[in-house]
Amino acid sequence: MARQDKGATPWLVLGLPVALGLAWVTQGSGVIEDDPERNISIPEALTMPLQVQAAYNDEQIFFRYRWPAEQAHVYHDMLRYEDGEWIRHGSSMPGPDPDGTYEDRVAMLVDDGGVPEFGRYGGYITVGDRMRFFSDSASPAEVAEHPYLGQEKGKSDVRKYLPATRRDQTDWRSVEDADVLAAQREAGYFLDLWHWRAGRSNPIGASDDQWVGEYRNSDAGTGPYTTNWDGDNDRPRWMLDPEQTGQRALRWEDVVSGEVDFDSIYYLSEENRTDFDPDHDWQDGDVIPRRLLRTPEGSRGSIAVHGQARWEDGYWDVTLVRDLDTGSPLDDKILADQGVYDIGIAVYRNATGSRWHYVSHPYSLGLGREADLQATAFSGGAPEWDDAWFDMTLFYPGQVDWPLLISQAHAGAENIAQGTPVRARHSEEQLALYGVEMEFNDAITSRWWMTLVAGLIVMLGVTLALLPGFRSTRQGDRS
Amino acid sequence: MTGMHHMLVHFPLGLWALATLMILVGALLPGRMAELSRAALLPVLVLSLLGALAAIVSGFLVWPLAAHTHSPLGRNHLLMSLWSLGIFTMLTVLVWRAGDAAFDGARRWVLVLLALIGGLFFAAAGTLGGHLVGAPTAFSEVLGVMGWEVYTTFYSPLWVIAVMVLIGVGCAALGRRGRRSVD
Repeated sequence: MARQDKGATPWLVLGLPVALGLAWVTQGSGVIEDDPERNISIPEALTMPLQVQAAYNDEQIFFRYRWPAEQAHVYHDMLRYEDGEWIRHGSSMPGPDPDGTYEDRVAMLVDDGGVPEFGRYGGYITVGDRMRFFSDSASPAEVAEHPYLGQEKGKSDVRKYLPATRRDQTDWRSVEDADVLAAQREAGYFLDLWHWRAGRSNPIGASDDQWVGEYRNSDAGTGPYTTNWDGDNDRPRWMLDPEQTGQRALRWEDVVSGEVDFDSIYYLSEENRTDFDPDHDWQDGDVIPRRLLRTPEGSRGSIAVHGQARWEDGYWDVTLVRDLDTGSPLDDKILADQGVYDIGIAVYRNATGSRWHYVSHPYSLGLGREADLQATAFSGGAPEWDDAWFDMTLFYPGQVDWPLLISQAHAGAENIAQGTPVRARHSEEQLALYGVEMEFNDAITSRWWMTLVAGLIVMLGVTLALLPGFRSTRQGDRS
Repeated sequence: MTGMHHMLVHFPLGLWALATLMILVGALLPGRMAELSRAALLPVLVLSLLGALAAIVSGFLVWPLAAHTHSPLGRNHLLMSLWSLGIFTMLTVLVWRAGDAAFDGARRWVLVLLALIGGLFFAAAGTLGGHLVGAPTAFSEVLGVMGWEVYTTFYSPLWVIAVMVLIGVGCAALGRRGRRSVD
């Protein structure tokens, strides 16, 4: 027995650092991977920078956004002629569009205090139960059968909605009665949504104007685009006017080249279109945009591009302008000097859509009052921007929804109930990592349990291996 | 229960830190301090286990289990806490088993190695607990340098889990064989 500690037995302890060291160097691998079947596509970069400026005069407010993008994606929803058929490219899909035919976008939610949770938790409050493109998204058939969303509004998916528009936070179906929804809107319980698109509005200097209540709705009026498709004949309704543009269509090789000449014809609009000519000798690779751009009208046309929004030297630089008071208080948040508001901004890049965006924390916007983002007051027709940017970090939010955040599965649910703002507890980098992990929560949780138990098994095994070498060898000791 | 857990965790953390120091002194230094460290180690380890059990039980009561298992930080905190408990349980068993001879020969290096691994784990458990209450420490960055982003769950690939279990079972088998040869 006295020879035990001179033998190999004590060195069996090395099994422990070997096993735990192996666990350490390989930790975090083996689960996270793209899975389009489950609507999962993890972006390479989980965060991105955004610079913002704001300025206002007596009548209007201007927002300037600047963010990095490897290339400009301005082509969106294209019809490519191939073997006698017009094939659609650019419908929503998980992750980046492989052809690059999905437009870049910037979207901004604005509130005037009517939605108090928004100022604390930002866009998270708009992510409800079984949202589209989540792994557990409600099926189009389910939504179509819903008496309000499907049968009354003609929707086939669940998009952004505010918590109080549902009676049960865990059930997207539990939409409040129409009169309650109307009263909520009258009371200001909605979010204004500024929605700039590089393909479906920017070429004509327009932006979309929407609002979020029980759904992501459009403001009254007509939007900056309509659909260029003749379903009866399976072909476009319109094409480029050859007399005006010198061409009837774009070419697929140009669309997917990754290059864009903002001074060229890369879009179809009311100004450059003519009726589609089915008798033309269409060639494989001819491309006609599936969206026709048109000047938006009514409340939906309240927001315009100021100057020219362009991608240059790796950056988008977009300035939007809107009247402080649009005259549409049920569609827009009316802004005024000495007001403080809440904003949250999202950016789409790398040919992604739907939930594959980067979002910001909520920030306050001050018009003549102290806030995170201070809008500069100026006189005259246009602001003279300086280099004083407000820097934000945007993050990929993954699959984290409001029902989860207020449930027992979120350790911070009590903090939310108490009104603790998200910025006080979570950084953007942290939320991005959490968002990804939630997409694989079941798999990660089971693998974590296995790792935990395996570590304890190693410890038990090594202990059993060491016991013979740790018997007391001195007179009077235990044996 | 949150405040109770915050109070109770001081016992395992303090006692494990003390035990680690005592093992290092007892194994590496000569003289009276080393003798005292070796002599007093077992009671410190036993007390640390009692404190750890109380802290872990109270920790489970801070949030619902679903919250622990849905949060990367919560998962990591739990894993590091239980692994720390495992390592210091090993130390307690081995020191109790060997008595005054625990530091003889190569055994001292076993204790030193286990104490260092345990020290890493309980420090990680502590800093993760700090994160959970909104008071992170710079030690998280040390863990980051070591390749672990603490906002991501610590889990291993299946093949590594299998290797870990095999090592555990293999060591247990060797121990059983060694025990028979000793007897």
